[in-house]
Amino acid sequence: MLDYGLLERLCRADAPSGFEDEVREIVLSEIKDYADDIKVDNMGNVLVFKKGSQTPKKKLLLSAHMDEVGFIVTDIKSDGTLKFASVGGINDTAVFAKQVKVGINKISGVVNAKPIHLSSADERKKVPSMDSLCIDIGAKDKEDAEKYVSLGDMIVFDSPYENKDGRIISKAIDDRFGCLVLIEMIKSELPYDMYFSFVVQEEIGLRGAKAAAYTLNPDCAIVIEATTAADVPFADGEKKVCLVGGGAVVSYMDRSTIYDKEFYNIARSANAKTQTKTMIAGGNDAGAIHCSRGGVRTIAVSVPCRYIHSSSSLASVEDMESVFEVVRYTAEKILSE
Amino acid sequence: MKEILKKLCIDRGVSGSESEMLDVIKELVGDFAEVSADDMGDILVTMGDKDSSKHIMFDAHIDRIGLVVTYINKEGFIKAEPVGGIDLRTLQSSAVKVLGKETVLGVICTMPPHLSKNDDELSKDKIWIDTGLSAEKVNELVSLGDKIIVCSEFRELLNNQVAVSALDNRAGCAVLVKCAELLKNKNLPCRLSLVFSVQEETNELGAGISAYTLQPDEAVVVDVGFAKQDGVPDEKSGRIGCGVIISISPVLSRKVTDRIKDIAKQLEMECDYEVCGGSTGTNADKISSSRGGIMTGCISIPEKNMHTQTEIVSLDDMEKIAELLAIYAENGGVCNA
Repeated sequence: MLDYGLLERLCRADAPSGFEDEVREIVLSEIKDYADDIKVDNMGNVLVFKKGSQTPKKKLLLSAHMDEVGFIVTDIKSDGTLKFASVGGINDTAVFAKQVKVGINKISGVVNAKPIHLSSADERKKVPSMDSLCIDIGAKDKEDAEKYVSLGDMIVFDSPYENKDGRIISKAIDDRFGCLVLIEMIKSELPYDMYFSFVVQEEIGLRGAKAAAYTLNPDCAIVIEATTAADVPFADGEKKVCLVGGGAVVSYMDRSTIYDKEFYNIARSANAKTQTKTMIAGGNDAGAIHCSRGGVRTIAVSVPCRYIHSSSSLASVEDMESVFEVVRYTAEKILSE
Repeated sequence: MKEILKKLCIDRGVSGSESEMLDVIKELVGDFAEVSADDMGDILVTMGDKDSSKHIMFDAHIDRIGLVVTYINKEGFIKAEPVGGIDLRTLQSSAVKVLGKETVLGVICTMPPHLSKNDDELSKDKIWIDTGLSAEKVNELVSLGDKIIVCSEFRELLNNQVAVSALDNRAGCAVLVKCAELLKNKNLPCRLSLVFSVQEETNELGAGISAYTLQPDEAVVVDVGFAKQDGVPDEKSGRIGCGVIISISPVLSRKVTDRIKDIAKQLEMECDYEVCGGSTGTNADKISSSRGGIMTGCISIPEKNMHTQTEIVSLDDMEKIAELLAIYAENGGVCNA
């Protein structure tokens, strides 16, 4: 079994894009005794090399991102409430009336909501857009708020974590789960030398991975991710995309990458439950890695995750175990050739 | 006040399930007052001179809004409907607690952005809850009719404000408990009934029942009222952190309202007024027309984000209102005055 206590610590860490420090600290302290070389680059990516029993002909990179979606303070209003923008893709509907934490001191706040009693019939039917909302920290006015908050401070969801009967509910499973898989690989005995990158800023345009792939210059890559599952009661057939409990998701194509066919077949043949997506949806760091330098043969292996990019996403422990098995098998197979 | 409120802001006591709150009230006031419950579940606390011909009633509804389980499908997803005026906009991808044989964490189902149109209308017929557990496990733990609440943690904001769900009207209940504490060793010139009434959020049931049974001479209702915030009209709201909102309405007794105003003045409280052309939308409507009519007043704790999981009140306001009520009772109210 993977170390789910560590996953909880990773998910509870607050690290939207550009503020990856808390996750980076956990990563560095977890891997320091197991890796052969660890560097933190100028963007904040953690670049790792670990020797295996053999040195393979190819250079393989395993990558996961440390950042999560969140928000950033853009203005402080005269009444002491905060205007904010999303950092990464968050649906308007996921924001209204949610509890949040603001700044590195994590002061409590809430996204304000005009009471339903005073809302018109039309207003009640639709969640207002994010840019019409503000965050309340209890400040009396702007001057009072400025004692605690500055423009550019990060904001994250304040939501519960629970691992019960084989399923996990938490924010940021995307992509702390990927970080967990990398850490577990680094802590294990490897058959071949491998490179690892814990990257920043995936959620705002695959930015960290681009730099990491350039620096490490791999021949092939495996991206470990959490991906959208839409298997809810009001989605039918192919619209479910992939299923929680259906095993590791291996895609042939998404919105940023057409994946390597041979690697796809290897991953699908692992001795673990796998599935593929029934829609061309989503995208991840593979989009930046596969076109790095002279091209990198790339595959992504993901845990299916419902309500991704919200305060409470949901994934299955069994699927997580499958992803780890598929990643281990695929890495070994790629390097053995 | 904070500790009283924390004890009251528990997950339990959605409309129709208020009996779960009886032990909490007993713990808070049982040492110095007589606590009982009527057939509907109203919690009655008796203080003062039981033989007095003057009888004052203070009312705060103890129920909270929530959802109720109406169906479990073959995959184990739970269908739910509102209990009271829950704001559908706040539910989207919120974590919830299903109050079954065990409390089960779940998430309100939503479609991912790439599969939903932003203009999809919210409907109370589309509320599904995902616990991530197997259908077998869900059926073991959850039954039709079980209540559900939206998750939220008791969080302290700046300036002695707190944010959590169910402050409507556990804040009012906390004020009554504090008032009882202030009066505990005092000889009152009247009989005082503190009523923690049931099912206000569904049809103001409990207040009418208890007013009929107790037959008080006069009553004061404590509820939450709209605090000033974006989108809330000035004339319908009060300033948070400044004191109290006093209702003025044809259904309310001028004598009682004037006495409340006098005491507020004496306490140097800043008051805001909510003037209603007709009924008040609170328990005062039912109480004032009970039996042959009961002189009734209504005061409110200014609250932001009413009927959401991010309700905000000021503990300072609550302290002052408790003091106001204590003085009201000590002076024997307005009956026979």
